[in-house]
Amino acid sequence: MSGEAMVAAFPSGNYDGREGLQGISGLIAPQRTGAMLGQNAGRVNDAELIREAQRGNRAAFEELVRQYDQAVLRLALRLTGSEHDAKDIYQEAFLKAYRNLAGFRFESSFYTWIYRIVTNLCLDYLRRKQTRKEEPPVASDADGQELNLLEQVADERPGASPERNLMQRELAARIVLALKKLTPRERIVFEMKHYEGLRLRTIGEALNTTEETVKNTLFRATQKLRAALTNAR
Amino acid sequence: MNCEWVQQNVTLYLYNELPDDERFELEQHAKRCQECAAVIGEFQGFHQQLDALPKLEVTPNLLTSARMELQERLETAEQLQGWRRFVMDPVAWLHRWRFSPVLAAVIFILGFGAGLGTMYRVVGSVRGAVGMSATSAQAHAEASISGIRTIQQEAGTNQIKIQYDKTTPEQVQGSLSDPEIQQLLLYATKNNYNSGVRMDSVDVLRQKPEDGRIREGLVFALRYDSNPGVRLKALEAVTPYVRGDIRVRNAVVEALLNDNNPGIRMGALHALEASRADTSVRQALQQLAKDDPNPYIRTESRKMLTSMPEID
Repeated sequence: MSGEAMVAAFPSGNYDGREGLQGISGLIAPQRTGAMLGQNAGRVNDAELIREAQRGNRAAFEELVRQYDQAVLRLALRLTGSEHDAKDIYQEAFLKAYRNLAGFRFESSFYTWIYRIVTNLCLDYLRRKQTRKEEPPVASDADGQELNLLEQVADERPGASPERNLMQRELAARIVLALKKLTPRERIVFEMKHYEGLRLRTIGEALNTTEETVKNTLFRATQKLRAALTNAR
Repeated sequence: MNCEWVQQNVTLYLYNELPDDERFELEQHAKRCQECAAVIGEFQGFHQQLDALPKLEVTPNLLTSARMELQERLETAEQLQGWRRFVMDPVAWLHRWRFSPVLAAVIFILGFGAGLGTMYRVVGSVRGAVGMSATSAQAHAEASISGIRTIQQEAGTNQIKIQYDKTTPEQVQGSLSDPEIQQLLLYATKNNYNSGVRMDSVDVLRQKPEDGRIREGLVFALRYDSNPGVRLKALEAVTPYVRGDIRVRNAVVEALLNDNNPGIRMGALHALEASRADTSVRQALQQLAKDDPNPYIRTESRKMLTSMPEID
């Protein structure tokens, strides 16, 4: 279907890519709502877009991608620490979703479905990475240039002292190392909960497991992190 | 509710995952119990510690380039329908361990069959190559040969194998709505080494940008053509579609952020004016307004941002 046909199929107010005002209630824990709302706020009717995309309308699929891709990319970036790897996971996740879209039966939301694909890819990535040597807390950008995450830790408030910045950096380095020592599953659960602010139920759906299991994994991850940060003091 | 329960559930409490009644009881308990209040305080400190890790934000550049790459790959991707979904996704099959023995057997049988088939085909093609018909020889002789690649004589036989390239100039005439003409124009836009021909091709294609396939060709020219003149022409042709077509919008945002020609960047900036409320455009403008080395782009981006209606 051409671009015009798409515009005809969807009201222009929804299709111009403008972010709307409504959030997804129930998905986001109140303490970190900012983490996901930015992109999901304006989601148009997913079901309509999915049906259009299932009929082969690529523009509808791209519109669907735009509802969630920022959150997907951010999660992949957090877990891989590399723009290049994050982009690979992003591509693979959405291509997989597109290829298998015909099999989407509306039993879960598209959001849960895409998160399930992404978390599986991230799990595979972390498992592969764990078998390799430990790496320093360095991320790389899309051009392959290395960016030291810890260089970005700086207190820019007026009056912030170099000593304080140094301490913050040391703490961040310890957190990075502690996160790397978690199992891939613990790492994903913790990142999705603490940094992405997702509900345990949503994480369970994404990982295809029960809320209870996610809870236990979160407890284990928290204990390990606390122990690592306390021991390092 | 006892201290042990509180200390076990303090993580859920801090993540706001406790039901309201349990949350209330926990808070009441903590007011009475100093030990539990201290544990909660300790966990809160731990959460504050974790915030020392910098947030990795997705930059507009990263997001735009990821979107563009995805669009490109989607162009060749196909949805798997019906039985193909099961056959064409072997990884999903492998994940279903129950089917692994069956799958291994199927792969073995298919491999064996393919091996046999290939063997017969090789034998058949050797036999077929022996006799070249007179008509075929005539056609080969008539074709204009642009070069001979290799000549090999098979040892112990009188068979000579020659690999050559031929070119036969052709001409076609038709209107822009003719699919063959469109295909040739698109081919010229994407592949011709002569920038003059690419320019002429884009010049013709811009007369019909309402056609999705033509618009894709124009977007391709905007993104990849090495000649700024061709890119600028393509940009002008797709500008009316910035608002309605996401692919066009993304390509224009990419040109605005990354094109090495200031004229094209300025053109892209003006083309995006109508869509400045779009998230990706807004983010790009914010980045440019902050630190673009080109003062004109910086100032114009700021102007566009300030004239934008507030969006919550």
